[in-house]
Amino acid sequence: MQTLSQLDVVVLLASISIMLLASRMFAELGRRIKLPVVMGEMIMGVILGPSVIGYLFPGFFNHFFPETGNVAVSMNAIIQIAVVMILFVAGMEVQLPVVLKQGRLAIYTGISSLVIPFAIGFWITWMKPAFFGLVPGESQIIFSVFFGTAMAITALPVIARILMDMNLFRTKLGMLIMASAMFNDLIGWLIFSVVLALMDNGGIGVGLGLGKTIFYVIAFGIFMLTIGRKLLNKSLPFIQSKLSWPGGVLAFSLGLCFLCAAFTAGIGVHAILGAFIMGIALGDSVHLNERAREIIHQFVTNIFAPLFFVSIGLHVNFIAHFNLPLVLIVLLIASVSKIAGATSGAFAGGLDIRNSMAVGFGMNARGAMEILLGTIAFKAGIIHPDLFVALIVMALVTSISSAPLIKLAMQKNK
Amino acid sequence: MIKGKASYPFETIALAVAFSPRLEALIAEAGRFASIFQAKTVFIHAGKISDEKEKHLNNLLNHYGFNSSNSVTEWKEGDAVDTILSICKKHIVDLLIIGAVEKENMLKYYMGSVSREISRRAKCSVLMLIEPKLSPIPFQRMVVNGHSHSKSVHSIETAIYLAGKENLNNIIIVDEVDIPAISMSIADDNTAPEAEYIMETIIEDEHSKLSELLSSVDHKNIQLKPNTFSGRRGFTIGKYAQSVNADLLVVNSPDHHMNIFDRIFTHDLEYMLADLPCNMLIVHSRVF
Repeated sequence: MQTLSQLDVVVLLASISIMLLASRMFAELGRRIKLPVVMGEMIMGVILGPSVIGYLFPGFFNHFFPETGNVAVSMNAIIQIAVVMILFVAGMEVQLPVVLKQGRLAIYTGISSLVIPFAIGFWITWMKPAFFGLVPGESQIIFSVFFGTAMAITALPVIARILMDMNLFRTKLGMLIMASAMFNDLIGWLIFSVVLALMDNGGIGVGLGLGKTIFYVIAFGIFMLTIGRKLLNKSLPFIQSKLSWPGGVLAFSLGLCFLCAAFTAGIGVHAILGAFIMGIALGDSVHLNERAREIIHQFVTNIFAPLFFVSIGLHVNFIAHFNLPLVLIVLLIASVSKIAGATSGAFAGGLDIRNSMAVGFGMNARGAMEILLGTIAFKAGIIHPDLFVALIVMALVTSISSAPLIKLAMQKNK
Repeated sequence: MIKGKASYPFETIALAVAFSPRLEALIAEAGRFASIFQAKTVFIHAGKISDEKEKHLNNLLNHYGFNSSNSVTEWKEGDAVDTILSICKKHIVDLLIIGAVEKENMLKYYMGSVSREISRRAKCSVLMLIEPKLSPIPFQRMVVNGHSHSKSVHSIETAIYLAGKENLNNIIIVDEVDIPAISMSIADDNTAPEAEYIMETIIEDEHSKLSELLSSVDHKNIQLKPNTFSGRRGFTIGKYAQSVNADLLVVNSPDHHMNIFDRIFTHDLEYMLADLPCNMLIVHSRVF
């Protein structure tokens, strides 16, 4: 069996330690000025990466965060696992009954806030592929579908936090925003998984063909959200009361998460889809103890998520690839299309224009989900580093600006 | 005119008649309710009339004090749910009594049993009895939903009316605080004491809203005991009703026509219909 050398182990452990400790420190500092934790983690990644430390102290950077070799491969595997787990936790926050309860208004808002940004994003990149960095010879359709999806996605955790801070959580408006964001997340990740399947970038399912792959994805989704959910509901009370706590439920949940991720990866779709759907099935269960839910969430968001978000900055030089016109255009397209889409959907569903605008501003927050989407696309070679940096900046700016804009709409409401 | 009629008093009650082993017990229960509400009773059978069935039913009705002056029997063929609901509409029924099993098998639940379908679609209040008795006894412990919804006040007032008829001293009103993703979003950006404080504040806030609502209700000397819990709406109150051995759970009618998707992605009333925690009264506020 091939193993890591002792030096590799030391470097790997030290780099994980640096990433966790430094990102936590920054996240805590950011928290004091009300910045999302993810932002602190990302800033730390940029500082540790080629943009700052890598530029000033290349020896240190190359020693602890090498681009090639055993340590790089091991770190890459850890980051892959982190991505799967982040999507699993994101799925746990999606509650389909909430979408169903909000009814027509949520469906209108959800569809409109998804379709309009997607269509605009697709159309613009289709018309001007070179401006957005499409390399000649690469698939324009995949590139445009990806960009459309990137414009359409919404960050549920950021929205939840904003609504809570603004005491809007328990209002009809708050629930509508949450329900529409959940709808966006579900459809957005499904589309993105199909984009990755179109890329056909590995897996034992290569050769299944798109038709069969989509059939398996649909069958898997239906199974997990119906029979799978029922089976989870039956087994969770036993697991939580008879097995050791919280080890039993943690092993069970994450074991199933990886199994589903392996299945979707096996049929040629990215592993994230399996993890996301498993997260929905598990998170929706009323039998999942609230404490268990928190433990899973804390375990992933405080150990694996920081590694992922810091790693983003380690691989890209944010200063060298900061293309101001591209950043501004991406920000403009993302904000205008999302706000217009969500506002028009809510308005068509029967909300007045001011409240509809508040919904639009709320839905504009992209946060960690956009960063995750951009990173996967970047690593899959769908996008150029300049566009990747532009998407990251857009995700951060929309997350920060969302709350003040909702406040503005609400003030005008009064 | 049904639309706009208050959810109580129960001036006309109805019993959905199926020739099952529980028929006599259900008629006995209907007799008790007819007596305490001083109500006219409609017996509805959706099916073919036969001499044998008619004789059997008349014997039971006579035994429990029903006659042509205080009751009507309707026999009509057709889809059971549609027939029963159309007859309820014709007689402007205020309360429809149906027998129900605690838990349907999975296929029947998803396809929609008659009793569950009636409870979802009725335009009047529906009382689902899981264990009707030949010698009925008054309800001993009532749990009523009190979450923030315009229908809740009607459910509470109807429960007070019923409690008055049953000579109950108190009823328990339960508010379920159900905010998706709240615990995770709190836990992300707060210290443990902060997260605990935020959750406590949310619960306290809801509890004071419930207390405020209850103070505005005419409780007719019946003590209203407010309780606020965090948990999935419909599921939490069902579990609570079981834990306090309630024999009647009073809830709001659904806001929209419930279909198979509501059963697959279970929420609110569907949690209770999937596994009835006890007898259940679904109050239809016909002002909406």
